Amino acid sequence: MKSFVRMSYPYILWIAVFIVAPMIMILLYALTRTGNGTLTFQFTLENFSRFFSDPDFLRVLWTSLRIAFITTVFCILIGYPAALFIANLPEKRQTLMILLLTLPMWINMLLKTYAWRGILMNFDLESEAKVFIGMVYDFLPYMVIQIHTAISKLDRDLLVASYDLGANPWQSFLKVTLPLSVPGIISGITLVFHPAVSSFVIPKLLGGGNYVLIGNLIEKYFLVAGDWNFGSAISLIMALIIIASMYLTKKLDRNAGED
Amino acid sequence: MRKLIEFKNIVKTFDGQVVLKGVNLNIFENEFVTLLGPSGCGKTTLLRILGGFLEQDEGTVIFDGQCIDNVPPYRREINTVFQRYALFPHLNVYENIAFGLRIKKTGDDIIRQKVQRMLSLVNLEGYEKRNVTKLSGGQQQRVAIARALVNEPSVLLLDEPLGALDLKLRKELQRELTRIQQEVGITFLFVTHDQEEALTMSDKIVVMREGEIVQIGTPLEIYNEPVNAYVARFIGESNIVDGTMPADYKVRFDEKNFECRDFGFRPDEPVDVLIRPEDIEIVKPRDGVLRGTVKSAVFKGIHYELMVETQTGTSKTVHMNVVTQHDLTNQAAGEKISANDFYVDLEDLENREMTDKDFISIANAQAWDEEGRDISLTKVSHNIENRTGVYSITFGTEKKTEVTVKVYVIHPEYVQDPRHNIGITALDFFITPDEIQESMAISTDLKTWASAEAWNLQDDSSIEITDVRFDFNPAEVTEGSYEITFSTRGREYKVETTSAHEVGDRIGLDFGPDDIHVMHKEVADA
Repeated sequence: MKSFVRMSYPYILWIAVFIVAPMIMILLYALTRTGNGTLTFQFTLENFSRFFSDPDFLRVLWTSLRIAFITTVFCILIGYPAALFIANLPEKRQTLMILLLTLPMWINMLLKTYAWRGILMNFDLESEAKVFIGMVYDFLPYMVIQIHTAISKLDRDLLVASYDLGANPWQSFLKVTLPLSVPGIISGITLVFHPAVSSFVIPKLLGGGNYVLIGNLIEKYFLVAGDWNFGSAISLIMALIIIASMYLTKKLDRNAGED
Repeated sequence: MRKLIEFKNIVKTFDGQVVLKGVNLNIFENEFVTLLGPSGCGKTTLLRILGGFLEQDEGTVIFDGQCIDNVPPYRREINTVFQRYALFPHLNVYENIAFGLRIKKTGDDIIRQKVQRMLSLVNLEGYEKRNVTKLSGGQQQRVAIARALVNEPSVLLLDEPLGALDLKLRKELQRELTRIQQEVGITFLFVTHDQEEALTMSDKIVVMREGEIVQIGTPLEIYNEPVNAYVARFIGESNIVDGTMPADYKVRFDEKNFECRDFGFRPDEPVDVLIRPEDIEIVKPRDGVLRGTVKSAVFKGIHYELMVETQTGTSKTVHMNVVTQHDLTNQAAGEKISANDFYVDLEDLENREMTDKDFISIANAQAWDEEGRDISLTKVSHNIENRTGVYSITFGTEKKTEVTVKVYVIHPEYVQDPRHNIGITALDFFITPDEIQESMAISTDLKTWASAEAWNLQDDSSIEITDVRFDFNPAEVTEGSYEITFSTRGREYKVETTSAHEVGDRIGLDFGPDDIHVMHKEVADA
């Protein structure tokens, strides 16, 4: 065991340098005022109050959450039947289908999004609808794979037992397959909601310049406005939202498991 | 009793392999019926067809007077207890049992009442809230039984339900299942490969083999009057010997005539004779209807299981010549060489053109240098002809280290036993004391050195030589000639007795007409 512990040192170093240290810096920036010297820090909560007192910022936050939520719902609605369909195919076909499904994930997201922009230019859609299409397209494979894994792990005997006890195929689905695939749905949600809430490339490219999500906001304050303190504060707010939602889904998962 | 289920000429094939070959079977109300057979006999397939999980290729299943071939499983009034329980892991004990009732939209108060009754039937009161995945195997199986029975089916199917449990638990659940069946009074169709389980629990046993029903009967009928050797061997311990029926109520085996209770055979029809080991009584040799020697005695807990040989097998005795090898030394090359004289069967010479390698191995020829390293023998020259006689053979190395030994080409006598159709042969041989002392399995090595073989005179198939007798101590053997006897298995009877007997004891075996059961020979499948 000891030797394995030692093998994790490089990883711990990596995390410390590239994750923990930047996080501390974000925290530091978010809690200080612009124009700090190397030695003088002016701690303040101004950045946060600025965010929460401005209705425009709150609207952006709300839109981001709404878009991520709707994207996740669509991913479940489309992904679940797809996963169920794939799980019922012969094993060889399943592998092929999963491969086809994951194929777009190998292509750069920017490239795919530009392609979608080209396609959607020909349609007269609202910018929000275009963003949905791009987001669902991009995140759907994560959802399908998670649900498919959960369904294919299901013991076939349970369905046989369910028929045996008088449940028709639809009832068996509702009472056996669906509840037993909840863990898959939940890990699917984790994989879709979190990146969706913070995505900024897709809304920027598909939503047109005036469609602003929280990811775009962060990008703008860091790269365009150069206000790292406020940008860090927004990043921190979003990180807290994601942590909270992870905690919620974990809890949901545990409850489902205990029932 | 009312007929509840009727299988009519059920045929089922999987990937071109016929699993059920036209099965006809009637099952009545309130019966505990067991389908018994080895794995692959089609018993589970038949059960699954009744449950509706498989579709037969041909034939019809009638349930309660109606054809149910097109009824999906969830509309059949049949419930199943699966071998691997198949409990719903996301539901607790209570909800697992309530599953079927909830599907039928039964009221909550009635569900509560019925589930409670089931829990007390299977002795699991107080387990309602338990997580089913945390229960023991036996408890899980009880939940599975309750989950099936709560729906009040007319038939309960049990697919090897006790197979995954340990012996003690299995016994306990066997008793419990019998009790439950008597209490609820419905038909149980039970599938097992365990004959003991079948005997203790069933009203009716259906013995199956390769997709066909071999015999249907009560446990007592199946045990006492099996229709053929297959059923007899499958159910309980048995001695099955070849015999003939000279006349009704007379059977001949072991060169003796016996009275029996069987009749209706063709005169002198070859038959299988069954005598159960527990029906044979051990008496003094002169009081027995058969006499024999105890070949082995194994303590089985309550009784001893003896193998008693009433007729010795066919045997052949040869001489083993133990000689000390004299090494020849080639001073110039710094090598030593040695080899034994040996015997060769003329027939072997004629038939399979013996190679130099064969001669080296039979003569145990070897050469080595001063440090004991083996040197390969590259030269073999001889004057052996395809006629009996004494010849000589010379083995040599690259450096001309040579040894010459005698080869006896003989035409050995085969022992033929036309009564049992057995032939046996073995050759005299030369051997060194070292080789005998170094042997790890002396009986096997003696067979090899003597080229001992036994075969069936009719079809030439080989027969095992089970007995090698010799009167020397392998660890202290010295030069000289020794007799070795090889023999095939004789007629042996398995006897169960509570008194201890030593291997080698002469005893008499006693049994009466009631202990003999005569069966038709099995008809070989075309």
